[in-house]
Amino acid sequence: MTNLLCMVALCGFLLLGGNTPDTVVFILIIWILILCIGLFISYFSAKRRSDRLLGMAEELEERYLIPEVLEKPKRAEDQMYWQMLKMAERSMLEQVENGRRERNEYREYIEQWIHEIKTPITAIRLLCDNNRSDLTREIMGEVEKITQYTEQTLYYARSENTQNDYLIREIRLLDVIHDAVADNKYLLMQNQVVLELPREEIYICSDEKWLRFILDQLIVNAVKYRSEKPMIRFLTEDMGEYVTLSVQDNGIGIEAADLLRVFEKGFTGQNGRNVLHSTGLGLYLCRKLCDKLGIRIRIESAVREPSKEQRSGTKVTLTFYLNHLIHQVQD
Amino acid sequence: MPEKIMIIEDDPIIRTELETLLKGNGFLPCVVTDFERTVRQVKEEDPRLILLDIKLPGKSGFSLCSEIRSFSDVPVIFVTSSDTDMDELNSIMIGGDAFITKPYNTAILLAKIRSLLKRAWPGRQSEGLSWHGAILHPEDGTLEYGDRKVELTKNEQKILYYLFTHAGAICSRADIIDYLWDSRLYVDDNALSVNINRIREKLAGIGLTDFIRTKHRQGYLI
Repeated sequence: MTNLLCMVALCGFLLLGGNTPDTVVFILIIWILILCIGLFISYFSAKRRSDRLLGMAEELEERYLIPEVLEKPKRAEDQMYWQMLKMAERSMLEQVENGRRERNEYREYIEQWIHEIKTPITAIRLLCDNNRSDLTREIMGEVEKITQYTEQTLYYARSENTQNDYLIREIRLLDVIHDAVADNKYLLMQNQVVLELPREEIYICSDEKWLRFILDQLIVNAVKYRSEKPMIRFLTEDMGEYVTLSVQDNGIGIEAADLLRVFEKGFTGQNGRNVLHSTGLGLYLCRKLCDKLGIRIRIESAVREPSKEQRSGTKVTLTFYLNHLIHQVQD
Repeated sequence: MPEKIMIIEDDPIIRTELETLLKGNGFLPCVVTDFERTVRQVKEEDPRLILLDIKLPGKSGFSLCSEIRSFSDVPVIFVTSSDTDMDELNSIMIGGDAFITKPYNTAILLAKIRSLLKRAWPGRQSEGLSWHGAILHPEDGTLEYGDRKVELTKNEQKILYYLFTHAGAICSRADIIDYLWDSRLYVDDNALSVNINRIREKLAGIGLTDFIRTKHRQGYLI
């Protein structure tokens, strides 16, 4: 624009000064030529710079940190934008930090609370155990549920945590199964569940508490979605390369359409709508803990159809790879 | 001679109930109430096993354990409500023998105590239990009457063990089933009747009749 105005002014001045139109045209052509070259150069350098900046932004893992890697621009106008970006970044980082801190504090509070609640639960259990009667047996059944829910909360709070908090040791698989059954003793007794346990002595390397929690969830599910004459069968198999542990029930089974989604957080499906107290958390947590421990978890299920003589039931199989420890070290 | 077990726990209800539980299961419990002089009390009492809480007034269970380890190899079971794996690792490093988290299952706790005692003080034979001339030998699973002996299955042993330890009192079916589950035998009501009948047949075989009496709607009595 400035260039155009200058050109018009120069033309007028030159023509008034008695120059021939040819000279004026010649001067104008030279001017435009130089102008074009200048524009091209500044266009390419600007394009190169913006390409470099965009490339940098692409490479950056945490893109919100872009203002940190930008060098301070030379032009006054750019500097203003740069300043504003810096300000935006700072306030955003503050917000993120606040959110993170609040979440951590909340998690710590939940863990703290769970530890506190465990003392009165222990006291109730001991009181009931020392004064066994039909009444205390009923109470124990309810205390078992409270324990179950608190454990679930604890593991939920922990599963969100990035740091892995487990202790891998050699454990006797049968012991973990017995302990998980003991955790749900009154639930199983009240529902007259028939249990079948394996006889093989198999040792695996894993975290005992986490595994016990996973088995607890599977037992509770098997009872929750039971059918007539409930039965739970635990099967272990040593395949050399890996060891499998299956928990099989003769419950109502899971519809094929729901089966793919049962490990999703909050998914309850058809069974969840029919049976009350479905949280959609149990299997989600199982999957999450299995992933962290390097255990493969698989679910199969059959629903009874009126036309066929097929038996219903669900089978969850955990696979422990003997060399999974190596992968974990690599993680 | 019952084995002395020391309870170091600050919650008063848990402490007294643990005491009752251990007493009821044939142990001799002793408790710490003055946490200022815990270590001295351990030296004086010289227990066979220690149940130790981690969170205690004054010194933590961890530092107590290392102090105890400086003069004794007595088995120590950590019993705590904080169950991070860091704590568990710590407890192993300073010489704890087992780590049980609250809220614990009393059957699991008792099983752990028994197995640790057996490991730490081997060679202690539990003598047979006798009642009205019949002697139960839990270690080899037999019952002796007069000069005749009969072999028992695991279920039968445990049922008889429960009846012998509650001799003279009526044992309800629910209590027996409860006890069997705690012993890792998952028996239901029907199976209990079957087992009782089988025991009666076996006992009759060695000349012991009407040893187990049925109290209608109450349970069994020997």
